[in-house]
Amino acid sequence: MSDADEELSLLETLDHLLDRGVVIAGEAVVSIGDVDLLYLGLNVVLANVDAIIRTSQPKQIK
Amino acid sequence: MKLVVIGAHLERSDIEPVAEAIAVSDLWLSGMQVEDSQPVGDRDLLLRVAKARATLLDRATFVAIRYGFTAHGESDAFGKCAAHIDRWRRVLKEFRNYVEMTLKVAAAAPRTRPDRRDFESGAAYIRALHDATRAAEVAPEFRKAVDETIAPLAVKHRWANRDTSSLEFAALVKRDAVQSINDAGSALKRDFPNVPFLLSGPWPLEVFADDHE
Repeated sequence: MSDADEELSLLETLDHLLDRGVVIAGEAVVSIGDVDLLYLGLNVVLANVDAIIRTSQPKQIK
Repeated sequence: MKLVVIGAHLERSDIEPVAEAIAVSDLWLSGMQVEDSQPVGDRDLLLRVAKARATLLDRATFVAIRYGFTAHGESDAFGKCAAHIDRWRRVLKEFRNYVEMTLKVAAAAPRTRPDRRDFESGAAYIRALHDATRAAEVAPEFRKAVDETIAPLAVKHRWANRDTSSLEFAALVKRDAVQSINDAGSALKRDFPNVPFLLSGPWPLEVFADDHE
């Protein structure tokens, strides 16, 4: 694997780690760099608008 | 100490010794134990978790939990996850031999991302951002090719708009179909050299972890 491929693979892995999967309500940490700036212990789910609308629409599943 | 949670699993043996395991009802959470003072935004921790996530998927399929969720022991974890457990159990049993593959493709005509300063209210900005995202579309002939070559290899598939300049095709596939999907991806690269796309995987249950059936 070339350096560029390895970098792409790492970026894709981090994208999935940070932006995919089940979001557990009531937990959110907002960080910049290595510093946790905010901890939100609220009974809400933070998600991007498209994800909310996507999951609220009828399933488009084969 | 806190557990930086990676995923939910059917069996304890799916997790150890790659990661720490804690029980939530009859399921198990995988994760990394770190000091409470350890920031979850730490780069090295992020990379360790990413590596463990990949190794765990080699062992068995699991429900991915978005990075940043932490738990202090079994009762704390159960309290936070109780609402999900029945669904996780169902999905884990149904899709134990399946993984996800994703194909990100650049939009044929990327939409301009709205500028917050052009809107008086946050709601109007969010609506415009959503509309711009939904309006992004992939080249029809490429989408047709994906639907005809990769989709039939999946048990479930879904197109989704990720942002104003790209779309994503997610597929739930049997583990033994991964190579066929990669072969289909190589054929797409050959047939559509001018369409930027990235086929990646296998991934744990991410997009299809919330399916209720």
